[in-house]
Amino acid sequence: MLNEKRVILMTRLASYEEGEGRKNISIGNYFRGDYLTLQILKSIVCSTISFFIVFGMYILYNFETFMQDLYKMDLIAFAQSVLKYYCITVVAYAVIVYVVGTVRYVHAKKNLQRYYKNLKVLKSLYQSGESGEGEA
Amino acid sequence: MTKLLEIREKVKEIYSRYETFFIPLVKFVLALVVFSRLNGALGYMARLDSTPLVLILSLMCSFLPTGCMVLFAAVISLLHMYALGWEVALVGLCLYVVMFLMFFRLSNREAALVLITPLLCAMKIPYIVPIAAGLLCAPTSFIPVACGLAVYYWFQVIGNSASTLGTMGDDALSRLRFIIDGLVQNKALIVVVAAFSITILVVYLIRRLSIDFAWTIAMVVGAIVNVFVLLIGDLKFDINISIWGALGGSLLALAVAKVIEFFRFCVDYSRTEQVQFEDDEYYYYVKAVPKMTVAAPEKTVKKINAKNLRTRERSPLEVFSGKTGSGSKTGRRGSRTMTIGSVGEAYEDSYDPYEEESYGETYGDEAYQDEYVSRRRDTYADESYGDETYDETYDELYDEDDYDEDGEE
Repeated sequence: MLNEKRVILMTRLASYEEGEGRKNISIGNYFRGDYLTLQILKSIVCSTISFFIVFGMYILYNFETFMQDLYKMDLIAFAQSVLKYYCITVVAYAVIVYVVGTVRYVHAKKNLQRYYKNLKVLKSLYQSGESGEGEA
Repeated sequence: MTKLLEIREKVKEIYSRYETFFIPLVKFVLALVVFSRLNGALGYMARLDSTPLVLILSLMCSFLPTGCMVLFAAVISLLHMYALGWEVALVGLCLYVVMFLMFFRLSNREAALVLITPLLCAMKIPYIVPIAAGLLCAPTSFIPVACGLAVYYWFQVIGNSASTLGTMGDDALSRLRFIIDGLVQNKALIVVVAAFSITILVVYLIRRLSIDFAWTIAMVVGAIVNVFVLLIGDLKFDINISIWGALGGSLLALAVAKVIEFFRFCVDYSRTEQVQFEDDEYYYYVKAVPKMTVAAPEKTVKKINAKNLRTRERSPLEVFSGKTGSGSKTGRRGSRTMTIGSVGEAYEDSYDPYEEESYGETYGDEAYQDEYVSRRRDTYADESYGDETYDETYDELYDEDDYDEDGEE
């Protein structure tokens, strides 16, 4: 006999697995610390590439000025200022990624808890169905 | 209102029935419009501005993920920029890479917003974007909207600079500086990005509040905030934003937002229930607002058979299998009506709950509608795991006492 509750639950589970669940399951495979570390590492790589792209554009933009002042300017002070901006960019971006990652992880874990709970309910529905049929 | 609700149900039913074809069609049309507008706005590489190529790319986009559409649009625009000058393409490439690495990767779910935002800006109706995004998307959707705005203003810079670049000769550094100046010193971009981002966040925060008419308040406040920030930006930076245009656009945006609300969040606040209960660990203060729904009108064709007094309509499955159906269950959950018809033990094995078909079953004087499978997506869309509405239905269906509460395995 078709079990209404079972069908509803299976549909809900399948819908979750097809959509958001896929991503949540991949997040759920990590411990919180590992997930956030990975995200921060990625963010450092991305922000470093982005910073050097922007820095390259800045150099190109001021290329003539640099060429003129290259022997006059304090290169160490210039390098220090570049490093300072680089650190600010990377740290600020890592903090944003950390916050976003934490929210995502908590959200994914919460959803996965419900998902696993529903799987358990589905299992119990199957078991009760089988025992009912066995008794009959 | 009842008529409108009936129309809504009908539209939902049609959408869920033809969803398989509808989504690729929408993606195809979106891609077609985006690529055509892109060729129209830039159009420096004549070879790309051909209808067959646009059609082929749009067809590909209709079955590929939305991210691919963004990628194709980026590649087409870069090729146009390259035709204008390698300096322009270089700046464009840097802009796209930085946007992708820094922003877009944080909010890639709303990839379509990157395309829709510049498209609506080009159509002079951009004010719909922040209100609709605030109502429908996550708060991080301000990132793709900001990226879309940056792309739109970048295209404007290219369009305005094209003639000047042609007369600047071969001095690559001057051309590069001229292009970068156009982008960096564009105050309108900063003001519009700030206005749209603030609007999205305000709309999102208000519509999540547990107050009556939260969506309506959110869209009205959002529209006011948007115009207000644009006004301040206009006064501060003198960017010549048309205030009447902003007001008219905001009114249009409100109209569109009301339509969105009607389809997405149509509730009856007059029947709001405030309930309070407790368990061993918590007190619960629950506010339940029923949705406004009506059953879609159905046409039932009865066959009168002289030999059999009971009139019965056979389902396609029955006709196919030659078996008879019996029994059905009807469940009503909250304001949502979900009718599940059992097709009987006789052909239970042939029933596939995931098959996207529906069939009507009339038995005696009662008409049962098995629309569960065909409507499962829209019925459960509101009950996604990220949505709080899930809990009420879950608890209603499954008595908590019956099951183990351990949660995660």
